[in-house]
Amino acid sequence: MTQVLDKPVELGAPPVTPAERTARRKALLEWIAVHALGVAAALFFVLPFVFVVLTSLMSDNQTLTRDLIPHTWEWGNYAKVFDTPGFLTWWKNTLLYAGGGTVLTVVSSIPVAYALAKFRFRGRNLSLMLVISMMMLPPQVIIIPMYLFWAKQLDLSGTLWPLIIPMAFGDAFSIFLLRQFLMTIPNEYIDAAKVDGCGDFKTLLKVVLPMAKPGIAAVALFQFFYAWNDYFGPQIYASENPGAWTLSYGLESFKGAHHTDWNLTMAATVLVMAPVILVFFFAQKAFVEGVTLTGVKG
Amino acid sequence: MPKMPRKAVLAAASIALLTTACTGQSDTGATDDPNASTTITFWHGWSAPAEVKAIQANIDRFEKAHPNIKVKVVGNINDDKLNQALRAGGSSGPDVVSSFTTSNVGKFCSSGAFADLKPFIEKSKLDLDKIIPKPMLEYTQFEGKRCAMPLLGDAYGLYYNKDAFKKAGIKAPPKTWSEFAEVAKKLTKSKGDSYEQLGFMPNYHGYETVVDHYMSQWNHTYFDKDGKSSIAEDPAFAEMFTYQKKLVDSLGGFQKLEKYRNTFGDEWGAKHPFQTGQVAMQLDGEWRLGMARDAGVKFDIGTAPMPVADDEADEYGKGFLSGTVMGIAPQSKKQNAAWELVKYMTTDTDAVVAFANAIHNVPSTFDALKSPGLKVDAGFKTFVDIALNPKSNTPPASINGSTYQTTLQDFGYQYESGKAKDLKAGLKKTADQIDRDIEQAK
Amino acid sequence: MSTLTLRAKRRKQALRTAAFMSPWLIGFSVFFAYPLISTVYFSFMKYDGFGVPEFRGLENWNYVFNDYPMFWPALRNTLWLVLVMVTLRVAFGLGIGLLITKIKTGTGVFRTLFYLPYLAPPVAATLAFVFLLNPGTGPVNSVLGDLGLPTPGWFTDAAWSKPALTMLALWGVGDLMVIFMAALLDVPKEQYEAAELDGASAWHRFRFVTLPNISPIVMFAVVTGVIQTMQYYTQPLVAGKVASGIIGGSGQQFEPGYPDKSTLTLPQLVYNLGFQRFDYGSACVVALVLFALSMVFTAFLMRRRGGLIQAGD
Repeated sequence: MTQVLDKPVELGAPPVTPAERTARRKALLEWIAVHALGVAAALFFVLPFVFVVLTSLMSDNQTLTRDLIPHTWEWGNYAKVFDTPGFLTWWKNTLLYAGGGTVLTVVSSIPVAYALAKFRFRGRNLSLMLVISMMMLPPQVIIIPMYLFWAKQLDLSGTLWPLIIPMAFGDAFSIFLLRQFLMTIPNEYIDAAKVDGCGDFKTLLKVVLPMAKPGIAAVALFQFFYAWNDYFGPQIYASENPGAWTLSYGLESFKGAHHTDWNLTMAATVLVMAPVILVFFFAQKAFVEGVTLTGVKG
Repeated sequence: MPKMPRKAVLAAASIALLTTACTGQSDTGATDDPNASTTITFWHGWSAPAEVKAIQANIDRFEKAHPNIKVKVVGNINDDKLNQALRAGGSSGPDVVSSFTTSNVGKFCSSGAFADLKPFIEKSKLDLDKIIPKPMLEYTQFEGKRCAMPLLGDAYGLYYNKDAFKKAGIKAPPKTWSEFAEVAKKLTKSKGDSYEQLGFMPNYHGYETVVDHYMSQWNHTYFDKDGKSSIAEDPAFAEMFTYQKKLVDSLGGFQKLEKYRNTFGDEWGAKHPFQTGQVAMQLDGEWRLGMARDAGVKFDIGTAPMPVADDEADEYGKGFLSGTVMGIAPQSKKQNAAWELVKYMTTDTDAVVAFANAIHNVPSTFDALKSPGLKVDAGFKTFVDIALNPKSNTPPASINGSTYQTTLQDFGYQYESGKAKDLKAGLKKTADQIDRDIEQAK
Repeated sequence: MSTLTLRAKRRKQALRTAAFMSPWLIGFSVFFAYPLISTVYFSFMKYDGFGVPEFRGLENWNYVFNDYPMFWPALRNTLWLVLVMVTLRVAFGLGIGLLITKIKTGTGVFRTLFYLPYLAPPVAATLAFVFLLNPGTGPVNSVLGDLGLPTPGWFTDAAWSKPALTMLALWGVGDLMVIFMAALLDVPKEQYEAAELDGASAWHRFRFVTLPNISPIVMFAVVTGVIQTMQYYTQPLVAGKVASGIIGGSGQQFEPGYPDKSTLTLPQLVYNLGFQRFDYGSACVVALVLFALSMVFTAFLMRRRGGLIQAGD
């Protein structure tokens, strides 16, 4: 993204006229003010991370005191967290839920999004409105009958299947996002493919999908993080079986379940935050594009 | 669109069908052969490392005596998870269940969440009145239906830091509530806007200083004979709330105490505030002795019954009783095997004594209480006596479990913080709420 | 073209559409429409998970609206959160977005730092904040105390718990920052230049050039913020649970809305009624209230973004 300069400031040429001098001074003051604010804001955003990390390295005795810098640097706390029974299981479960779920969602949402973007049919607008309604629905609205369905009918409580299986039938948010993206693909490509004799499915596969990679990446990322961060779902379906806990539910129960103090809890928190941030660094472009897709287009 | 109405009718019809189908009862399965090889799952609520070890030791003893039954143990199960699993039925649920919340037995028995134990008891020819003390028999049944057996009991009493007492010149633990308030004040040393040492943490959010633990030290009744809440009529409740508020105010005020409370370590970890010396007196169950010793506490620990109301001084010696209850999940297909485990853990004297010794709980059978194998030192004896005291009590069971206690506790929070100012009106409102909730649950 | 081939073509197209839409059609009926109707059905029933549901008419509705002590506090909290948290979040997001467009040195670094907190998983972020805002030993109160400033109880004080949650929400404002940043950069530069030539001050430029251009985005941020508030569940629940210190181990049920119902939200009531009290009927009543409120705001959003649906041939 290009940077917007309010006024071009020419460096090098010494200011000559009083007007130029005032302009130069004004620009400098503005630079200082803006960057001071920026630093203050950056502190607000970064300090919590810093404190969490510092606390994670404290000894047991120090966590409940007011000292902010660790007296001794207990790197061993991280090993202790890994050794906590269940921690690795939570990782495994979360990866399964988020990874597997994302694949299912993307595969099942693509055809639907394509249909909503490029086909004309009676009921298309209605379908789109319903998709949007589904997007806005809090999961708690339908949890009671869904829970009874999964637990009593299908005997799947204590597992993550009630969360993963529905992802094979499209996800409203993914469908919507993908649809917005697919609409930006010019119809000429699709018409050209038709002229070449491709059926709809082949057109989608061979022509449209390669062009839709950024959109798909964005959708996959969003879905992955939705599942990774999901607390309510695992709380309802997996809480009775610690072998099915995910990172979000396990982390919340960590302090109580293991009677630990804040230092270990913060170490666990760091271990849950870090992967997400790492993935972000590798996938920045897709992230930002995805967010702008939701807000700015249309 | 013309399609919609037809769809709706179809949907409604299938809903009716599906929902009745998915809410049907699972069949009771007491048809398994108790001598066949099988694995049963046992859920319990203990989570402190020593307790988990003790349970496992108990299980190992059982498996030795019953080599054909293997037990899978799952700990740290609280009532929410337990209730959910029992309702879901299904194969991933437990066979043997236990809970710390004795007042939920009303809900467990009346809703069928725990299986009816009568056929098993009769088959095993157990005469429960001769085996188990009466208060414990009381809290494991509801309106004549027995769905649970007591698995060790808990008696609550007063722990005090003998060294701190000596320093403050206090000779003996307080026996009445006014003595208690004086002693607590003497033991409190402020430091700035916090404390160097607090005599007692009276706030209802404090560990174990909940409303019903306080109430047990007054003569009280929660429900009248019609089953309606009597907390507004029975003066004991007003007395207790007034006393607690006075105590809170005299020890530094609600805000200051809350702030201090937030510096406490975990209740079940090594940094419990009594163990660290942050508070000099603690209301707690008999387990605290063992935990404090395991944490390597340096000072001398004294135990005594909690004080009683000034005008009921002759009742001194009583305390709050509860315990763990153990039962069988109705959806279990291995109920006979499950019963073997329940019977072993709740009535086999050696098992009960060994378990009681390991987690420092009060045994739940007469034989165990009198057993020479039971480790009773001076500190623990206090609690054994409290358990045997005929005036010791526990809140009555109700059809919606412990909801009425939660509601009363809620009012306590309002009153101690000064948010609710009119005690009488507040109690009446709370009583009405309790009645209404019970109506809703019927 | 003969009518025969036209009809055949139509049918082929209909089949094609059905095939492509099928995953969602199944998903919609099984995981949305059916449970929604079921929820309505259960709201009139007495059911606790054992036995069979019994019809009890409007009793559950009466209980929830008149006798359930958590209902109205939750609604009031939702109102507070909509008025305060959403407004502050949008304003702060816009402010940070503006700031970032003016930062010329190290823009990338600043942008990343501002955005990072948004990525923190909600449970982790909430735990971090509960720890940071621990009234007795947390760093924030330590610093405030050393500076001689008042040290509020944050998550343990009913008057400060929602402000604390708002701080947590502001910390994670990265998503709004990105949208506003994009919108701000899209404002035509000529308009700014024209305004300056006319002698407009910075504030006037903001009010008469910037705001009108970005107002659709502001609207979008507000409405989605409100819809997210309807779903606000994890952060208040985790904050209350952890701050109250009542967690699993001792068999005690956690107290929703600690402290003193100040962090209760409607979704939490569904959990309390359905999975703590096992009154499935009343839980469904609250679920329907939640549904109605969400749909009202969704309808509002859709009307404003009607172009959304029309766009695309």
